Amino acid sequence: MKNLSMALKNLKNNVSFYALYLLSVSFVITVFFAFTSFSMNKVMLAKMSDDGRVESMCKTISVFLMAFVIFYMSYSNRFFLRRRTKELGIYALLGYRKSTILSLLTAENLLTCFGAFIAGILLGGLFHKGIVFGITVLLDLAVDPSEIPFFNLHAILKTARFIFVVVIVLALSNGRFLVRASLMDLVRFEKSAEKTMKFHCFPAVIGFLSVIAGYCLALDIVRGQKSLWFTVSFYPMAMLTAALILFGTVLFIASFLPFAVQTGKKNKRKFYTQTRIITSPGFLYRIRSNARTLIMLTLLSAATLTVSSVMALSLFYPIAAVSRMAPSEIECRIGQESDIAAIRQIISEYALGDDVILRQTDIYKVASTASQLPMEYGIGTSKGDSDNEKILREAGFECISYTDYKALLEAQGRQKILKRLTPLKDNECILVKYQPDADNDETGNVYPLLINKEEIPVTTSAVTLDNPISFANSVGTLIISDNLYRTIAENTVPAVKILSINGKSVADNEALFQALSEYLNASPYLQGSSHRIHEIFSLSSSTFLLIGFLVVLFFIATGSILYFNNVSSIADSKSDYDILRKMGYPDKAIRKIIKRQAAAFFSIPFLFGLTDCIFATLVYKTALMQNLLGNNPALYLPTTAAIMLTLVIYLVYYCMTVHTCCKAVLAK
Amino acid sequence: MSTLLEAKEVTKTYAKAQRPSLNKVSFSVSESEFIAIMGASGSGKTTLLNVLSTIDTPTSGSITIDGVNIKTLTDTGAADFRRDKLGFIFQEYLLLDSLTIFENIAVPLTLQKLSPKKIESMVQTLADSFGIGQQLKKYPNELSGGQRQRASALRAIVKRPSILFADEPTGALDSSSATDLLNTLKASNEELHTTILMVTHDAYAASFADRILIFKDGRIIRELLKQNDDRRTFYESIAREVARLDTER
Repeated sequence: MKNLSMALKNLKNNVSFYALYLLSVSFVITVFFAFTSFSMNKVMLAKMSDDGRVESMCKTISVFLMAFVIFYMSYSNRFFLRRRTKELGIYALLGYRKSTILSLLTAENLLTCFGAFIAGILLGGLFHKGIVFGITVLLDLAVDPSEIPFFNLHAILKTARFIFVVVIVLALSNGRFLVRASLMDLVRFEKSAEKTMKFHCFPAVIGFLSVIAGYCLALDIVRGQKSLWFTVSFYPMAMLTAALILFGTVLFIASFLPFAVQTGKKNKRKFYTQTRIITSPGFLYRIRSNARTLIMLTLLSAATLTVSSVMALSLFYPIAAVSRMAPSEIECRIGQESDIAAIRQIISEYALGDDVILRQTDIYKVASTASQLPMEYGIGTSKGDSDNEKILREAGFECISYTDYKALLEAQGRQKILKRLTPLKDNECILVKYQPDADNDETGNVYPLLINKEEIPVTTSAVTLDNPISFANSVGTLIISDNLYRTIAENTVPAVKILSINGKSVADNEALFQALSEYLNASPYLQGSSHRIHEIFSLSSSTFLLIGFLVVLFFIATGSILYFNNVSSIADSKSDYDILRKMGYPDKAIRKIIKRQAAAFFSIPFLFGLTDCIFATLVYKTALMQNLLGNNPALYLPTTAAIMLTLVIYLVYYCMTVHTCCKAVLAK
Repeated sequence: MSTLLEAKEVTKTYAKAQRPSLNKVSFSVSESEFIAIMGASGSGKTTLLNVLSTIDTPTSGSITIDGVNIKTLTDTGAADFRRDKLGFIFQEYLLLDSLTIFENIAVPLTLQKLSPKKIESMVQTLADSFGIGQQLKKYPNELSGGQRQRASALRAIVKRPSILFADEPTGALDSSSATDLLNTLKASNEELHTTILMVTHDAYAASFADRILIFKDGRIIRELLKQNDDRRTFYESIAREVARLDTER
């Protein structure tokens, strides 16, 4: 029989076995084709960005995607090959040469990949259309659907070429396996996997301690300036922490977990139960041959969760920080009095409601003779300490009155802050902080203010992060009593005049903002809350969409590998479950055992990934992100959302796995 | 001795089969009896064992074990019944590879929710008396076929089942291991009063039983009783019967 006809016969006679393989390969090809079509979709790329940013990002992601597809297909191929070793052994016993077996396997792979290619092109075309529709709606793009072809010929050719390369890679991998395997290995492959596991205390303890040490080092970052991350330096500490966690994870899974389960068996009261006596040894038995897969999945899971959490945080944080960067709907500096009338005219043209609140605030710059001044006093006065280095500010407190502060908060609708506010005495002030400083409480500090060559001391009654004016227009804002403000106003001219515009009809009014920008000659002092949010979205969304695409893909890969691994392992032990049923294990108890066995393998990558993600996000947020919002609970939302999404994906895969396993084991 | 198992007119016909695998089979088993079921391949021996042990259901007829009509049992009821009343030994040993020999033997006792202390003492005592006390910490793949089958037998005996079903238990063993196992079963029958129903095609194995039921085409065609014969004489009469069966085929 020729190899091709034998391969066809094999595929035909083992439909259910190959269906799983075909399905998994079709799935990755669908994703690959959809992404390739998207990255070759000139209409969409042009609409998303005009600077070629999305194209270059697509190219980068494409490399990751190709690496992932090769890894995933090699894993699936090796996995199914392992399940067929006995069959290959029989071919070898019958006198088939290894080269003949290899060409048979390659022919099968070629046929499978061809089937998957057809399915992938059809489904990928649909998927691509779905992506285009989703992005169009999300970014509010004007795209004519007829401009987007269902099948992109170039994408089809690229996918076909890539699949051909994958088939060659699989052939090389299979060839390597066959060359290394002796006839004995092939015939008795399952037996060789049954080596007795040895439980060593030393690597187990080292693994456990490494992981704990890694997490403790990560946690040390919250000590602020005193932490090793600042005293030693960030990068060496990051490398050390990552190395400890990586090394610890490997030993934790390969040594500590088996050691802990083996030790747990000594608790006889817990061990001699109808479920535990099967699940604990079962776990030890499986981890022998699956430790490497579990480690790989754990690292993949940790990386995916961390990327998704950091990505969500990176998108959410600037949006959450808009409340500080631009607290008013629109805010600008007034150069001359005539500007106010002109701005009023523009507002009346673009904001038709009568709810617009205009509030002018005069800011007075006051110097202080205090020996220790807050960081905000001098921030932005020299190159290197400000985001906007082009415009240097003059050092000093920027004073506004208590009444102005209250009025601005009211106009901005910040009722909760207003409720907490207590009136100021003449010798008191509220210091607006640029970022929180937990190590240095400045409440009670006295700052002598130089007013008309006279020193008037004011005591800081409170520090706050609730700035009423954007940082573009005021840093080092000091809220002083109305009487003191009047004294300053009588002697000096305001440094800056700010016009804050609030109200429902100016909210999310991009046309108004653009008109004002035009009038103010694109002044950097023109700030808008809704405009800033729009800007963040349009600048970041394409990046996040593409990274999100990759993250979802990695989640699906992890879930699929866990699914195949569990289904195969439990299906291989079907005879064991038959014994248990004959012994009198009710179906309910069998289901419980299956659930526990699958749960153990699903929970290791998930829980490890979750812990790694939490600590990595903590380090990222503390060390690499500007802290404008303090310890705001809202900041935990994106991480929680990323974790919940992961949990849902894992749960779906877990339920699918348990369902398939129970169906396979409990079928009559 | 009172009747432990009673099968009346038991018939089993598989879908698409031209003739029934079991055809109105009736017989009874007394407490502490050791019965061997013999017959050629396809004669219905294993079907009978499956039907009696609640693994399969008969098409018609009734089976009563220890006063329970097993046909009326639900799936859960049948599982509980197997757990409480029945023991199994299979030709392929069917030990759980992931468990040590000790754990394998202990599994049925955990189902009975005995205390850990009691489980340990029962397993150790039984294993010592049947010669595998030193092998308990080993895994099945570390033992010889004979030792594995003995462990499998102990797993079936340890919970003191009302009746022990053995399906070709010596089929995969060499003669020495087979003799060891059969001695184990005989000792269990005589000392622990375990009732045994063993399916075998081997006259030597059958000679350890007290009574032989010979199957052909789904029916019991003959019955041999050991009575006061010694095992050698009984073996010779079984061998003659098997030879006769071969010529009748």
